[in-house]
Amino acid sequence: MKFFKKGQIEKIVERLAEKADVFVPMLRGQQSGFFSWKSYDENYDDIIFDLLNVYSPPKNIILPQTEKMYSFDQQGQETIIKPEEIPVEPKVIFGIRSCDVKAIEYMDEVFLTRTFVDEYYKARRDQVAIVANACYNPGTNCFCKSMGVDHLNPEAADVILREVENGYVWESKTDKGDILTKQVEDLLEDQEVELYQPNRFVRKVNYDGVAEKLKDLFDHPMWERYSDPCQTCGICTYMCPTCYCFDVQVKNWGDEGYRFRCWDSCMYREYTLMAGGHNPREAAKERFRNRFLHKLQFFNERYGTPLCTGCGRCIVTCPAGVDIIRMIELIKEAEPSV
Amino acid sequence: MSNCSCENPLVPQIVEVIKIVEETPDVKTFYVQKDNGVPFDVMPGQLAMVSLLPTGEGMFSVSWQEDDHLQFAIKRVGVMTDELHTIDVGQRLGVRGPYGNGFPVEKCKGRDMLFIGGGIGLAPLRSFIKYCFKHREDYGKITIIYGSRSYDDLCFKEELFEKWPQEKDTQVYVTIDNAEEKWDGHVGYVPAYLEELNPDPQNTIAVTCGPPIMIKFVLQALEKMRFSDEQVITTLEMRMKCGIGKCGRCNIGSEYICLDGPVFDLAQLRKLPPEW
Ligand SMILES: Cc1cc2nc3c(=O)[nH]c(=O)nc-3n(C[C@H](O)[C@H](O)[C@H](O)COP(=O)(O)OP(=O)(O)OC[C@H]3O[C@@H](n4cnc5c(N)ncnc54)[C@H](O)[C@@H]3O)c2cc1C
Ligand code: SF4
Ligand code: SF4
Ligand code: FES
Repeated sequence: MKFFKKGQIEKIVERLAEKADVFVPMLRGQQSGFFSWKSYDENYDDIIFDLLNVYSPPKNIILPQTEKMYSFDQQGQETIIKPEEIPVEPKVIFGIRSCDVKAIEYMDEVFLTRTFVDEYYKARRDQVAIVANACYNPGTNCFCKSMGVDHLNPEAADVILREVENGYVWESKTDKGDILTKQVEDLLEDQEVELYQPNRFVRKVNYDGVAEKLKDLFDHPMWERYSDPCQTCGICTYMCPTCYCFDVQVKNWGDEGYRFRCWDSCMYREYTLMAGGHNPREAAKERFRNRFLHKLQFFNERYGTPLCTGCGRCIVTCPAGVDIIRMIELIKEAEPSV
Repeated sequence: MSNCSCENPLVPQIVEVIKIVEETPDVKTFYVQKDNGVPFDVMPGQLAMVSLLPTGEGMFSVSWQEDDHLQFAIKRVGVMTDELHTIDVGQRLGVRGPYGNGFPVEKCKGRDMLFIGGGIGLAPLRSFIKYCFKHREDYGKITIIYGSRSYDDLCFKEELFEKWPQEKDTQVYVTIDNAEEKWDGHVGYVPAYLEELNPDPQNTIAVTCGPPIMIKFVLQALEKMRFSDEQVITTLEMRMKCGIGKCGRCNIGSEYICLDGPVFDLAQLRKLPPEW
């Protein structure tokens, strides 16, 4: 087994940073998220490998919150379009947890399969290597296991780190992982160490049969009732590692400008608003329902898994106390109204 | 099925507007061309995203394709379409596509075709109607029922009144909502006219496009006439941004209208949650 001592971790990051932009979980002010090692300032930032999933998921590394698509110049009747060069610098997401790795797998399905390939996503994704940190000690709002995530063996990881007594085991899983291993080889020791027994999950929910059952609950009064506290603020979707919806907008100064895309949320009215004012999801109830049905039924019908990795972020951040675990339980309890 | 010809499906190609036809006070047909040809090939019922920079981008049915150009019939309803209505021939636009499944032209072969349209809804239907005329031997009897609020609001008048009625084994029925002095044709709503004409469902496929309220009553009327769900085809409209099934917003249930639609038969529609 390849092993390194806890004290070596920054050296490892530093070494990887010679060849790539390495994103590391940090506490920066009140915010925790994945920040570039280049921007690390020991006066302000704390590296937090032990914290489970950080506040902001790392999805922005592959799907930036705003991203230029192409620029244009409109002179009289002429139009010139210049596609945006997509940066191809290699990146490493270091210390990402299994739930967030799974979320990247789901985004890969969305952006790289089903007829069209999203070239912006692909260009960034191809350059990303994933060094995951397996979870032996799930947090108070973690329920990834219930959502089909293997918290000890994130599939899309190139390298898996396993916390052990005094250090970490380094386990390469892919060719990309082998390249990273070569880079840090002299910092790793060969040593047999004992792996921890994983702790139990505090929160659990049984998702079995939920997608199927939801087919008969579209018109159920539960949506009116449980959407009532929802402010449609959309924070649940921004903080969700799997929510990938985007809007396309223009920024211009006179006739010049660029088109960009940015994260959007199905919780907003404008999301489905059409000319003349018609809106198929006008009320909070309809948007709230769409969010849960997309996650728990529609995505499953299309891609074969729920669009939720059980990271617990939406539960923690929702100002109205909406709790997806509770929603799943309520769905299981609901009597289909015929 | 993607027949998208471009490297990056989200980046438009530049086309030139070579002709503009004023169909009605608020509908114009734009003929667009790229290097004396088409930017991409489309099948009837497929879509394209049209960009007028910097104003905006909107999804439109390709109303017809000739060897050297595409046609879009566009109604003035908001910011981008208002501005589109002010441009002149020679203007460059962006287009990207084609998107969507299109009409099942193969499956309809050998069938009698019944087209039922309202208002701008004739724009997508027209691509299928003209396709049938182009491949006339492949299709049986063709019946077109079309209506608008007023005479002035009827789109594609030349085709409706002069060209299409001349086609072999083809009937064209036109109606307007309210009586007018210059109109001596049928008066009344499309669904009522359809019931009056009472077409035979035998070996027939009905294709309908129009405002949601019209579609609703047309579907009811067809059901009454004993058209089966598989014999009835329509198109859906949702707000769209990407056109390639990624941005999320055009879903009805687990179907993305931009990718899996916009064309569905009634049997497929009945499986979707009632959000259309
Ligand atoms: C599958 C499909 C086929 C269509 N085919 C045609 C056609 O052949 N001819 C035609 O005239 N119109 C068609 N439309 C409607 C057309 O897309 C809208 O009328 C147009 O986008 C309005 O843009 P606007 O900026 O003028 O309106 P605004 O109200 O100013 O638009 C604001 C925003 O809403 C979006 N939007 C508004 N209405 C719609 C709508 N109905 N559907 C989707 N997005 C909308 C616009 O793209 C824009 O981003 C079609 C729509 C869809 C989804
Ligand atoms: S965070 Fe809570 S209140 Fe805000 S949109 Fe999501 S469910 Fe509604
Ligand atoms: S829905 Fe909530 S718990 Fe599930 S992945 Fe998204 S933020 Fe995490
Ligand atoms: S328009 Fe983006 S998913 Fe359909």
